[in-house]
Amino acid sequence: MAGKGGATPSTYSPSPTTQKTKSLSFGNDEVLRPDDREWHQCRPAFFQIGVVAAAAGSAYADFGSTKVIVSVFGPRESKKAMMYSDIGRLNCNVSYTNFATPVRGQAYDLGSDHKEFSSMLHKALEGATILETFPKTTVDVFALVLESGGSDLPVVISCASLALADAGIMMYDLVTSVSVSCLGKNLVLDPTLEEESYQDGSLILTCMPSRDEVTQLTITGEWSTPKINEGMKICTDACSKFSQIMKSCLKGLDSALEEEDSNVD
Amino acid sequence: MVGLSIGEKHFIQGGIAQDLRSDGRKRLTTRPIYVETGVISQANGSARVRMGATDVIASVKAELGRPNALQPDKGKVVVNVDCSPTAAPMFEGRGGEELSAELSVALQCCLLGGKSGSGAGIDLSSLVVVEGKICWDLYIDGLVVSSDGNLLDALGAAIKAALSNTGIPKVNVAAGASGDEQPEVDVSDEEFLQFDTSRVPVIVTLTKVGRHYIVDATSEEESQMSSAVSISINRQGHICGLTKRGGAGLDPSIILDMISVAKTVSEQLINTLDSHIAAAEAGEEES
Amino acid sequence: MALPDASGDVLSEMDVDAFRRLFPLRFFETHLVKSTRPDGRSLAEARETSSALGAVASADGSALVKIGSTRMLAAIKMEVMTPSKESPDEGCIAIDFHMPPICSPTVRPGRPAEAAPVVSKQLSDTILRQVKCLSCCSFCGMINLKELSLISGKAAWMAYLDIYCLDADGALFDAALLSAVAAFSHLQIPVVSMNDDGKVVVLSGDHGGKEPVNKGKRKLTLSSIPLSLTCLLHKNYILADPTAEEESVMETLVTVVLDSSGQLVSLYKPGGPVLAYTSAIQDCVALTRQRARELQTILDEVTSGMEVD
Repeated sequence: MAGKGGATPSTYSPSPTTQKTKSLSFGNDEVLRPDDREWHQCRPAFFQIGVVAAAAGSAYADFGSTKVIVSVFGPRESKKAMMYSDIGRLNCNVSYTNFATPVRGQAYDLGSDHKEFSSMLHKALEGATILETFPKTTVDVFALVLESGGSDLPVVISCASLALADAGIMMYDLVTSVSVSCLGKNLVLDPTLEEESYQDGSLILTCMPSRDEVTQLTITGEWSTPKINEGMKICTDACSKFSQIMKSCLKGLDSALEEEDSNVD
Repeated sequence: MVGLSIGEKHFIQGGIAQDLRSDGRKRLTTRPIYVETGVISQANGSARVRMGATDVIASVKAELGRPNALQPDKGKVVVNVDCSPTAAPMFEGRGGEELSAELSVALQCCLLGGKSGSGAGIDLSSLVVVEGKICWDLYIDGLVVSSDGNLLDALGAAIKAALSNTGIPKVNVAAGASGDEQPEVDVSDEEFLQFDTSRVPVIVTLTKVGRHYIVDATSEEESQMSSAVSISINRQGHICGLTKRGGAGLDPSIILDMISVAKTVSEQLINTLDSHIAAAEAGEEES
Repeated sequence: MALPDASGDVLSEMDVDAFRRLFPLRFFETHLVKSTRPDGRSLAEARETSSALGAVASADGSALVKIGSTRMLAAIKMEVMTPSKESPDEGCIAIDFHMPPICSPTVRPGRPAEAAPVVSKQLSDTILRQVKCLSCCSFCGMINLKELSLISGKAAWMAYLDIYCLDADGALFDAALLSAVAAFSHLQIPVVSMNDDGKVVVLSGDHGGKEPVNKGKRKLTLSSIPLSLTCLLHKNYILADPTAEEESVMETLVTVVLDSSGQLVSLYKPGGPVLAYTSAIQDCVALTRQRARELQTILDEVTSGMEVD
């Protein structure tokens, strides 16, 4: 055990952390984004369902370098302390791996669980899930961010709705989510971690595309009304595109699910 | 939780539909607001805001700290809300935790703006004493003493009042420290810098009951809501933050409509609040 | 195995799945007498195993390992530390094994899995084993910590190895150890230099006129790679590489770790209702020897694939 000499010594990462060379090229219209995308273009999205055999339903999503796994367990017995409820409960939890952020353990500022994201995930999903179909029980939705590459919460939300569908939990529609960042004059869809660190404001929109309903909307930073208008338009467009990809992902694996899906539409 | 009979539910919903709520208000009328500043002597600034039976206290405590390595030119602000068990039986034990966390996050989102700091109600760069080394850490604590709906708006108003009541001590930095050394500081006991609160936004929550939305809902009305949108708006009429509560989805066009309604409401609210704060400050100085 | 006649009737009419859930032990025993297992494997057969390197882009070394449906994701991040006074020219390795709530229905957030710290400790013991053995009178562990030194007494590497279980279906230690070994074989140590403040920083492409301090030391030499197999003992049967269901029904586990030269590194038998005879342990070791060869081939394949890139 020579490797562990008592208390762990304090360490630091050799990679540069203070990138204060703010690239103002974002204000310039001619310059594209660091990954050569258009302003209103998403990163290549990939979804897969049924990745965790131990879970009732699960999904994996990667958007560029953001990688997320969501497992759904249940419906199962609610905790003893919970009161009787004639509708079901959703229990959501989002956590990060130690190596998710560029510098190890950065996401762990708030402890291993991300309470804020957990509650936002819950709010985004509860409106879309038909809770009446599993009274007295709880459905657990657990998300693990394997790698954080920006727009983590929207990816977690979309992935979680896919995992719920995979578990056969009844929903009104798939929930898709996407964010835009306000960088100077431009609105940037599906920002990366780097773009998020320069942003002046962000807008996360979660919706049920086939019903054209917004289940969750979070805006930070200063926005004028026309800009909110524009941002919401970009997001809803992107959401309907994602829902197509997610639906084809569901249909590709299981024809039984396809049936359920068409009932829901 | 509010227990209502079917008749009472109908009464509330019907009243809202006819623009006459159970306490006689119209849909877009707020309850009278009472502001008291300087209620906690140990804090750098504090205020108590009452709207009907909703009663909240906000306090601001400033401490010297070290700026974050990633943002050496900015101070730090931490918002934390506590729901007192005296406000409602369900807040007892760990029951209030979830609501407290939700309110803290919503306030943080509404007050602090984007990551680059634009749209922030509190100018974080004004909190820096020595760049990269010393800054003020503002701890903003909210306490819900009694709850009768519309907690977020009340807390937002209380924080705005508490910030205008806040004096940050003047700091003299001893010259001569170089390199990695932490410079010595002398915190003045007499000179205080007044905090600029003109950019602090107010929060307006629109609660949707049936097909209509109302402002400043009581908890009875909140129990009938399908969803609620909280919008924080500054004096210039710009949106500084927005969060949505409640499960039911909303059509995007309705959200835009709500934003424009919130804007008109916010203008009145900012004016009322400012005059109340000024009156409270004046009253405090006299006594 | 004598059943009362009445329940025998019920059993004959019972659905296979219901039988499996209600009488799991009897269900498994009916398979065992035929020298087979519910998933079609023979008793000594391990599940299909695969490995992929470089799954985590932001890490310095990473690997994803699958054994059946058990999945492990291991990633190494290198950080710099000041070495201790006792060993100024040695680096350090910190190993953590995590079972996040996504991996198994038994793990809930806020309540860490009981198995996680146990596996974590076993992994540290196995990987960090630094015994001076008498036969070769030199260093004998998997990794020479001296290779992690940068500037004697001033700076050394701290390798943080985090292993996340993404899907738990038995034989967690085997999968975790394999992923750890694979991650170390994928590890590319960043080229660093000392800056003016005395801190070690990563050299960017243009080198900036600085001399790298660890030129030509970008890979660790892995000597004597430990590989393991977990076996399940039930009555006289030995089941290699059990699934989570098998582990929950029949509780006696034996984990054998062998190094590349076939020498026994460690042997765990954490209690359990079955008392193992020496012959059973010998059988387990023999199975592990065979399994270690399979795993070595898998590792060789993925690492050779990496060198081609």
